[in-house]
This record gives sequence, structure tokens and C-alpha cells, in this order.
Amino acid sequence: MASLTFDALSKSYGANTVISDFSATVDDKEFLVLLGPSGCGKSTMLRMVAGLTDISSGTLKFGDDVVNTLTPKQRNIAFVFQSYALYPHMTVRANIAFPLIMDNFRWWYHLPFVGAVMRSRLLKRPDIKAKIERTAEMLELTDYLQRRPKALSGGQRQRVAVARSIIREPAIYLFDEPLSNLDAKLRMQMRAEISALHARVQKTFVYVTHDQVEAMTMGTRIIVMNEGVVQQYGTPAEIYSAPANEFVARFIGSPPMNIFAATVRDGLLYVGDVPVQNSGGWAASVVALGLQTVSLGVRAEKIGLDSPGGDLLSIEAHTLVVEHLGAETIVGVKTGQVGATVDVGVGASRGLHYARIAGEEQFTTNSGCRITFASDAVHLFDPETGKRLEH
Amino acid sequence: MIGRRNLSIGVRTLLALALVILAGFPVFWMINTAMTPVGDLYANNQRIVPDFSRTLNIFQVLVSDSPFLRWLGNSALVAGGTTMLSLLLACLAAYALSRYKFVGKGLMTFGFFATQMLPEALLIVPLYSMFMTLGLLNELYGLVLVNTAFAMPVAVFLLKSAMDTVPYEIEESARVDGCNALTILQVMFIPLIAPSLAAAAVITFFDGWNEYLFATTFIHDTANWVASTGLASFIGEFTTPLDMVFSGAIVFTIPAAIFFLLMQRKIVAGLTAGSVKG
Repeated sequence: MASLTFDALSKSYGANTVISDFSATVDDKEFLVLLGPSGCGKSTMLRMVAGLTDISSGTLKFGDDVVNTLTPKQRNIAFVFQSYALYPHMTVRANIAFPLIMDNFRWWYHLPFVGAVMRSRLLKRPDIKAKIERTAEMLELTDYLQRRPKALSGGQRQRVAVARSIIREPAIYLFDEPLSNLDAKLRMQMRAEISALHARVQKTFVYVTHDQVEAMTMGTRIIVMNEGVVQQYGTPAEIYSAPANEFVARFIGSPPMNIFAATVRDGLLYVGDVPVQNSGGWAASVVALGLQTVSLGVRAEKIGLDSPGGDLLSIEAHTLVVEHLGAETIVGVKTGQVGATVDVGVGASRGLHYARIAGEEQFTTNSGCRITFASDAVHLFDPETGKRLEH
Repeated sequence: MIGRRNLSIGVRTLLALALVILAGFPVFWMINTAMTPVGDLYANNQRIVPDFSRTLNIFQVLVSDSPFLRWLGNSALVAGGTTMLSLLLACLAAYALSRYKFVGKGLMTFGFFATQMLPEALLIVPLYSMFMTLGLLNELYGLVLVNTAFAMPVAVFLLKSAMDTVPYEIEESARVDGCNALTILQVMFIPLIAPSLAAAAVITFFDGWNEYLFATTFIHDTANWVASTGLASFIGEFTTPLDMVFSGAIVFTIPAAIFFLLMQRKIVAGLTAGSVKG
């Protein structure tokens, strides 16, 4: 049983608080993904779980045991680093076997030469040898056991790091952005391999990434973090369909969720000067919360351009970016007539709304269109706090 | 263009040759002088090509007329001991300076530097007094200690720089795999910084091998002399058997040269390691 309990966990470096009051419970055998932008504290969190970084305050439990003061070894965890952290002077075989060698380490192995001889003998011990070969076979590394890490490709190195982590059969597997050094194709392959590994070993995985695709495809639970604070904890489906706040809404999903500033006028919501049809109920609930403005969020795939299906809103706009991806077309639009905005640099992407259109649609840049979407596609957020407003 | 390139190569070759001659000539002169009878040394018809027929004879004289082999053995003990003790202590110190934060770290680093600022001659009187109190005079291990005190700081800086380049992830990964600090130093750092360790070994070995001032001052018993003291003892007030001095110098040079050649490959490997993306 290796459930994980974070109870008001905090990490500070002097006056700088990196993580504040982090609380969550992760069930046994979950694949938890810690997701957030760079510098949000997710790697620090993982290192605190591993015991590589001290916990400033709060309690961390594995099952019913408080592990705050235990060493990484005592926590019985495996850690896969972003840079793989393979031992460059050892062969793949010695790398994979290293945790087992250390399990059998005796104090007198510190004696010069004796240690080297004993470690080499341990590598040949039948039970250790069998385990190395079984693990290498599982990760298709059998042909590379005698090689040094520098003679391996990125994907192979990654697999060696995974092999080294699974050989000791730890209670919890920790991954710190293990795929970020791989190319897109290999990343996709390794995603599938790590998911398959989770299904096979049936242990708790904690996986840190800033890549929402990894989080959505691999995780059974996701914690979205920003500036050391948990933004939302839920399943990938919950996080995508009901984001807890504007940050989560924009961080999850590619292109990010479109946010329109809407104001309450005459009992209706208005985007600019365009009234949102049938928005009387929403406007009332917004006013009831003491607000006059609201952020109206719509996912890119829910936006239609000149689509007759949109029953809620129809805003005049013009296309600025057209990305043909084959199976779909991403169109970046700005409200207003063609030529209404001529921006370059950062200004070019500011105020840009995206539509994801299925298929190879023939859009051209700088052409007029109308943005439309349906009522079931709308998410409302408090423009001050960013929190989701139920409607 | 080709002509200019050939000229450039030619000039560089000549320059390199000149440097080789400059560095190699004292060695050549040492061999030549050793092979020349003392009487001929001051003759007008000085030999340019050494007379190798005397080789066996001069070394026989050296070994039979003086306990030079014993002195050489003492030198090996002192230099070997200095190397081992220096590297052992330097590894521990360098690891601490490279990886730990502790009060007085800056002061300790300065302390290591300070040992290099003081000339040996300045310390010889207080050291003599200390050695006398501790009963270390006339003992080879006393020399090992004093040489280590001077050689180790250099090794510390060399090894610390090398250890600074070892990625933290490797150390952390080793901790997750169950290593304590000593195991990490032994199993990870030492193999990874082997080239710098070889360079430090060369420096500390030569420090111990060539040391003369302390050896002459602290060792009184002829049997405990090291080769550098023994070699200097050939120089008499009235006569100096130059062929014997130089044959002794050849014998004194050979073990050090062998040690350097053994370590050289490691050092070169270290200088080029990491220069290309792995």
C-alpha cells in the first residue's frame, strides 16, 4: 500500500516561499501528474517526495507512515531524472544493477580494490543477473547491456533510467520531466511505454511535466500547480471540462481556451457591443455575485467560424493566422473588421482567439469571418479572482 | 596559397623543434656528462655524442660506492606515501568544499591557499622544533607528513574543480539508490574525476620525489636519506665526481619519468573529456 498524503506541505528558501500549504491525497496505484509552467514548484514538490529536498513544514505520508525525515533510500522510491543521471563510467548492466548492488553493500566494500572486486562479483550473482536480464528484456535493452551510456541514443538512455528505477521494485515511482530531452516522435513512443509500465507494475507513479499532452494522456489524476499553489486536482477529464479557474482553463488545452471579456448590460451579457443571446440567466447570477463584468471562456474546438450551428454569439472578426495541420486547421482571429488591427511582435498574438476546425478547411489570412459558439460551450470566470463561476 | 601554408607549417615546425631542443638539451647534457670521464670534461675536445660504452661501469660505481639504491628506495617511499596521503585527504577535502555548505568554508579555502603563500624556508625552524617534540626527526614518515602538508592544497584545488563539474543529478541518483556520502565519493566521484586524480598524483608525487630542503634538514642518518639529499652529498668541498653525480641524476630521473608516462594517458584523456557532446 503506497498511498501518498500531502498535508499542508510547504517549502521556503529563506523568505522566498516556493510551495505553500500543499494538501492532497493520492490513492495507491494512481498515476499522478504534477503539471504546471516552469518555476511553479512541481519539481521541488517531487524532490520533497523523494527526500532530496527538505520539507520546510507540513507532513508527507506514504501509507500511514510519516516520511519527512527518512532518507531517499529508506523511502523505497525510484527517481527518473530529466537528464537520466546514468552513471557514465558504468556499463548499462552495472547501471541497471546498481540499486541491487547497493542493497548488498557492506562496510568493508569501502576498502580500495575490495569494493570494485565485490561489486563485480555481485553483478555475476545468479539472482541479480537474472533480475538484470529480466528487466533488460522488458525494456528491450538486452543487446546493449555491455555498452556505456554515451554509446546509447536518447530513447535507450531513457529506458536504462527506467530499468534502473524498476529493478528494485520500489513502492513509488517518481519521474521528473523524463521525456523533455526527446524528440516529438520518441516522446510519443515513450509515453506509451511508461503508461504500459504503470499498467504492468501496478504501483503509484508521480510524474512531473509542463507538457499538458503528457499529463492528459498518461495521468489518472492531475494536480495543476502555479506559483507553488495547487490550482486544481482531478482527473484529466474533470480538469479539461470543468477548469477550476482561468489559469487552468488557459493552461490546459492547445490552443488555450479563448477568453472574452463580457459586461452585464440591460440584463444581458455583452461581448464588446454584441449581446450574447439567451444570456439573461447568466447575467443575473453574475450580478447576484456583485459583479458587472465576467470572463467568458470557450475552447477552440467549440468555436465556429461562419458556422450556422453557433446560436449564442456572432461577432465580426478577421483571420490573422492559419495553421494547416492536416487533420485539423487552427485559425487565429481577432475581433473587428479586416485591417482593424495591424500589430507586429507581441501585439500580434495579444487578443488573438483560436478556432480549431476539423479537416483541411481553406481559410486565408486577412479575410473577414464571424465567431460563433453554442451555449453549452461556455465557461464563466470571475475576472478578478479568475475562479470558475457555476452557471 | 599552398606556398604560404607550407611556409607557415615550416615555421611552426621549426619553432616546435627549437622548444624541444631547449627542453631536451639539459637531459642530453646530463647523459653526456655522466658518460664522460671527469678528466675529459674540461678538455677542449668535449664529446658531443655520449660514450655509451661506459654505461654499465658508471652505474656499477654508483651502486657500489654509495647506498644510492637505498636512497632511491627511501625516495620512492616518501614520494609514494606523500602521493597516497595527499590524494586521500585531498579527495575528502575537495568533496566537502565542492558539495557541502558549512560555516568557515571560505576561511578553509583561504587556509589552503595560505599554505602556498609561505615559503618553505620560513617554516623550517618552527617545523624542526615541532618535529623534534613529536619525535619525527630522522623518520621517513615525518617527511611524508611535511610534504603532504605542502602538496595536498594543490591537489585539493585541482580535485575540487573536477568535482564541481560532476552533475548533481548523478549524486542524487546515487543517494536514491542507497549510497551515503562516502560511497558516492568512492563509487561515483573518484572514477569520474580519474584524469584529474592522475594529474594530482603526478603533482604530489613530484613534490615528494624532488623535495630537498626538508629532507636534508630533518633526516640526519645517512641510511634514511632520500635520493635528492644523497645526490647532493656527492658534491664535495674539494672534489666533485661529476660523472657519478650525473649518473645518479639519470637514475633519479628514471622512476619519476616512468610514473609520469604511466599517468600521462589518463591526464590527456581527462583534458579532452567533455569537449564533445556525449
